[in-house]
Amino acid sequence: MNCRDCLERLDTYLDRELTDAEVVMVRQHLADCPPCEELYLLQVHVKRLVKVCCDRGEAPASLRSRLRQILF
Amino acid sequence: MVLVAEHAAETDARGRFAEEAIGYLDTLYRGALRLTRDPAQAEDLVQDTYVRALRYQGSYQVGTNMKAWLFAIMRNLFWDRFKGGRPEDISLDGDGEFALYDTLKDPSAVPETDVLDAIAAEEVVRAVEKLPELHREVVLLVDVEGFSYKDAAEVLGVPIGTVMSRLHRARRQLQRSLHEYARESGIVRAQGDGS
Repeated sequence: MNCRDCLERLDTYLDRELTDAEVVMVRQHLADCPPCEELYLLQVHVKRLVKVCCDRGEAPASLRSRLRQILF
Repeated sequence: MVLVAEHAAETDARGRFAEEAIGYLDTLYRGALRLTRDPAQAEDLVQDTYVRALRYQGSYQVGTNMKAWLFAIMRNLFWDRFKGGRPEDISLDGDGEFALYDTLKDPSAVPETDVLDAIAAEEVVRAVEKLPELHREVVLLVDVEGFSYKDAAEVLGVPIGTVMSRLHRARRQLQRSLHEYARESGIVRAQGDGS
C-alpha cells in the first residue's frame, strides 16, 4: 500500500468501516510511514475532540416536563 | 373484557415507546442545538420531533434503531421548518470527486496535536457550527453520535458514498478552522512569519 492508498482510507479506517484485510494493510502502512501516521493521529484527535466537545449539556428541565406531558 | 385488555396492551406499548424515546432527549437536544445554533429553536425542534414521533410511532419497528429513527425525523423537520425545504437540490458535493489526496498537498493547513489540546471546547463547537448544514449533520451523526456510515446514510436519505465525501470535506474544513483559530489566537505562529 502506498501513501495515496493509505490516505484515501484514513477516514474509513478511523471510523472502523474498512474490511479486515484493508485494516491490516493500512495499519502496516502507518507503522512504516511516519508522515501518514502523523496525519492519522491528527484525525483521531480531531474526531475525539469533536465528540467530547459537542456531546455535553442537557436538555432544559422545562422541555423535559413538557415532553412528559405530551408523551405520557 | 377483550377490549379492555387490548386497550391496556396499547397503553403499555405507548408507555414503553415513550419511555424509550425520552431516553434520547439529551442527545436529540444537543443535536438540535448544533443544527439550529439557537436554544429556543432547538427546543421547538425537539418538541416537534417528539410530537411527530408520537404521531408516527406505528411506523417505528420495535427493536430497530430508535435513535436513528428519531434523528431522521428531527433532521427532516429541521430542513422543512428552518431551511424551507429538503436539501436534495442543494449540492455541496461538487461533481462527487472524492478529493482525498489533497490532505498531503497542504500539510501546513493541518494543526499539530498538542496545538489542538490548547483549543477551548467552545471553539471546537464553534468550528462545528460553522460547517455548512449538510456537512455539519454528517459530523453530528458519525463523529458525535457514533452512527455507522450505513445508519447515517439512512437517516440522511443519501448513498453511503455521499456520507463519506461530505464527512471528508467536513473534517478537512474543521481542521482548517481549528488551525486558523490556533494561529489567530496566538496558540501557534503562522509558518513563515520570519519573526
